[in-house]
Amino acid sequence: MKRQQVIIGIVALVLGVLLFATPFMFIGITAVKSAAEASHLGLSLPSKWLFWENFMAVIKARNYMLLLAYFNSTVITVGAISLLAVSAAMIGYVIQRRPSKWNGFIYALILAGLMIPPAVVPTIWLLKELHLFKTLHGMILIQVAYGLSFSVLLFRSFIASIPRDLDEAAIIDGAKPWQVFFKVILPLLKPITITVVLVQSVTIFNDFTNPLYYLPGKDNVTVQLTLYNFQSQFSSQMNLLFMNILLVTIPPLIMFIFFNKQIVKGMTAGAVKG
Amino acid sequence: MKSSRSYPYWFILPSGLIYLVLFLVPTVTAFWFSLTQWDLFETRFIGLENYSQFFQEPFLITGAVNTVVFGAVTSIAKSILGLLLAVLLTSGLLGQSFLRTLIFFPVLVSTVGIGIAFTEIMHPARGMINVGLSYLGIHGPAWLIDPHLALFSVALVDVWKGVGLATLIYIAGLATISSDYYEAARIDGATKLQMFFRITVPLVRPATVTVVTLSLISGLRSFDLIWAMTKGGPGFSSDVLASVIYKQYQAGFYGLSTAGNIILFVLVALIVVPLTYWFNRREVDL
Amino acid sequence: MASVKLKNIHKEFNGVKILKGIDLDVNDGEFCVFVGPSGCGKSTLLRIISGLDDASSGEIEIADKDVTHADPIDRGIAMVFQSYALYPHLTVRDNIGFGLSLAKRPKNEINERVNTAAKMLQLEALLDRKPKDLSGGQRQRVAIGRAIVRNPEVFLFDEPLSNLDAALRSKMRLELTELHAELNATMIYVTHDQIEAMTMADKIVVLNAGHVEQVGTPMELYHHPKTPFVAGFIGSPKMNLFEGQTAQEHGADIYGIRPEHLTLSTQTGKWQGVIKHIEHLGADVIVHIQVQALGTLVARADGDFAVTTGSEIYATPQQGREHFLSK
Ligand SMILES: Nc1ncnc2c1ncn2[C@@H]1O[C@H](COP(=O)(O)OP(=O)(O)OP(=O)(O)O)[C@@H](O)[C@H]1O
Ligand SMILES: [Mg+2]
Repeated sequence: MKRQQVIIGIVALVLGVLLFATPFMFIGITAVKSAAEASHLGLSLPSKWLFWENFMAVIKARNYMLLLAYFNSTVITVGAISLLAVSAAMIGYVIQRRPSKWNGFIYALILAGLMIPPAVVPTIWLLKELHLFKTLHGMILIQVAYGLSFSVLLFRSFIASIPRDLDEAAIIDGAKPWQVFFKVILPLLKPITITVVLVQSVTIFNDFTNPLYYLPGKDNVTVQLTLYNFQSQFSSQMNLLFMNILLVTIPPLIMFIFFNKQIVKGMTAGAVKG
Repeated sequence: MKSSRSYPYWFILPSGLIYLVLFLVPTVTAFWFSLTQWDLFETRFIGLENYSQFFQEPFLITGAVNTVVFGAVTSIAKSILGLLLAVLLTSGLLGQSFLRTLIFFPVLVSTVGIGIAFTEIMHPARGMINVGLSYLGIHGPAWLIDPHLALFSVALVDVWKGVGLATLIYIAGLATISSDYYEAARIDGATKLQMFFRITVPLVRPATVTVVTLSLISGLRSFDLIWAMTKGGPGFSSDVLASVIYKQYQAGFYGLSTAGNIILFVLVALIVVPLTYWFNRREVDL
Repeated sequence: MASVKLKNIHKEFNGVKILKGIDLDVNDGEFCVFVGPSGCGKSTLLRIISGLDDASSGEIEIADKDVTHADPIDRGIAMVFQSYALYPHLTVRDNIGFGLSLAKRPKNEINERVNTAAKMLQLEALLDRKPKDLSGGQRQRVAIGRAIVRNPEVFLFDEPLSNLDAALRSKMRLELTELHAELNATMIYVTHDQIEAMTMADKIVVLNAGHVEQVGTPMELYHHPKTPFVAGFIGSPKMNLFEGQTAQEHGADIYGIRPEHLTLSTQTGKWQGVIKHIEHLGADVIVHIQVQALGTLVARADGDFAVTTGSEIYATPQQGREHFLSK
């Protein structure tokens, strides 16, 4: 490392920390202050660290709403991810392996899913007709529908790198089509499946807009919705609001610490021409 | 044994059906509902009235204009900053992997959380930014309170949150450029700046396409950050189509809301499709 | 009795005719090799026999049963792929036993049969490894093991040795020949390497541009090629083929003489020419001669035959070794 690189590096580090770390410090510090101190919005350290008090206050707020929210968000995320991962892999597999005159049309549909903003009110109407409105399983299905395109594209490009000979060897060995997929192909999709699971679970867990529309009502709150609801309720208790932000930030932080590489890989796929 | 037998289309069914019912059907029926007065139970056909109302109400037009401005500003800023940061963070700096991690982390954090936090950070008097600026003798602006500035303040936070992703996409793109090009250019006597504009920028194009398209699509559809920070205010100054759609929905104007939806997706299509086409046509063949 | 009969097999891809009416009988226990230049349709034909692809028209019988529309598993065949196509996530043991476990055979039967196959191929020590931890030759053996274990009536090989280096390839040729003798099964083997064809085959099928040029034993094809294509394809260096006067004198279109059937002399002979180029192979020497009336003539001579580039030389075809072919 040259001297110049060290100097620029130090300058970049200082700037980087200033710009990108201070907001999180601010969140963390405000979350452990008293309400009065928090309202000053400063970066000064709290005179008394009230982590536990604030933590319990947020948890207990509105009759333990945050715990319910965590439960709901977890159910939605896990449910949607399990459905998405397997079925998106199946779709990616068939459209990659089976060239047909329909492919152009199927691609157009997939790209539409990436690009077109969902038509919300007609969706609400439809969910009501199907008795899925304001239900967790309805929300799960919505997340599957909205996350499908991205997942299929990731699987498809990964499957393109698995030689077709493997499918054929399995067919010769007497495998039925579903056995070829589940016994030979699916086990080979582990790396990309991990990526899809991570990226989609962060997306679904952090989703605010869709639960806002499709999952109104106290019983169905998700983590992001509680945050939004607390914003008005805690306007004079900044410390509790920020404790809530802190708690909402923790699951992605944990994911990030353990799976940084795979998440980055999934999110940057496509940079290298895909 | 034909591929029709080995790769049966029923594999598409499970989630394809979900996609069809919950995404495609609403999208298609939206065209019809946008032509009606609608209370979710009964529809009354009113032709293009929703659309004409949309284009007569000044605040609705502001919403459309703001959408384009927000999408353009954020995607341009993300691609330029992303590329510069990527070049900086691949140059072998002290602590560059730490910096990459630091810049990327906000991508994974809840948008609403970030929005709420930055609403306080951008407080005109006590917020961290303006307090910091005042140490430098600068009187900071009223970020979210000033109607002329509110949209751009939100855009700034959006860029802050999203630039890490752009940077990483560019880093992945830079990694595919063979160092031979730079060595050849060095032998030809190119300066660092010339190498950046003559080699890096053209060859990192696929990454640029990805960054610009992704940020445009998400920028044009952006809702949660704006909603968490300004709710479209002050007045309607930072309203975008997505927030207009929500407000009309809340107010019970379902037909109008759906018309807004159609306008949004026509807008997205009109901007993104030609752009992708243009990007692909000007592909550099290697 | 596992004979294979092909009747008038046609295959088109998107309107392009790839196979143009193939008729063929492969007898029980025969080692039959398909040779031909790249793109002539060897793999396509093999895949049609295996059932991986359907023929556009025509019929296939295996062991006297019509299997034209049967699934691969119902044809009693096993196949070894050029790329080996080993399942990367399974151990050698599970790779070999995969087909049996799909067929829901009892565990101990699978184990027994896998062990027998492994013994035959000296794979016992490798049974618990994954394919990525094997050498090319070992992977090749596993692929063969996967075929053997199912006791197929017909083995299909698509260029199984082409990914191996030269030394390993000649070793595997021998092993495959021994395996054939041991199993006494029908084998159909695709290659574009005529040495493999000549050394291993009971019967060679020469394919060219989607049709069968000639079928015969290696020596039949060598001594009595029926078409200029077969004459040029079998044998190395290639047979010298000339159109023109010499052929016409015998009422044929093309005259052919193999390099090894020319006698060289510095004094006298049928054709006089100038040496253009010499390739020393050690035991042999290949001499390229410019002959006025014919063009370039290639001859094979003894390794210690002393010649130099640019000198004059005479070449004479050996009696009864000349070929007169029509187009
Ligand atoms: N699925 C397919 N779709 C279209 N054309 C095909 C397909 N499979 C093969 N072909 C064409 O059929 C012809 C014969 O191919 P085939 O693979 O049988 O040749 P080959 O004799 O095995 O050649 P090689 O020695 O190179 O393996 C080629 O021209 C090839 O391009
Ligand atoms: Mg082939």
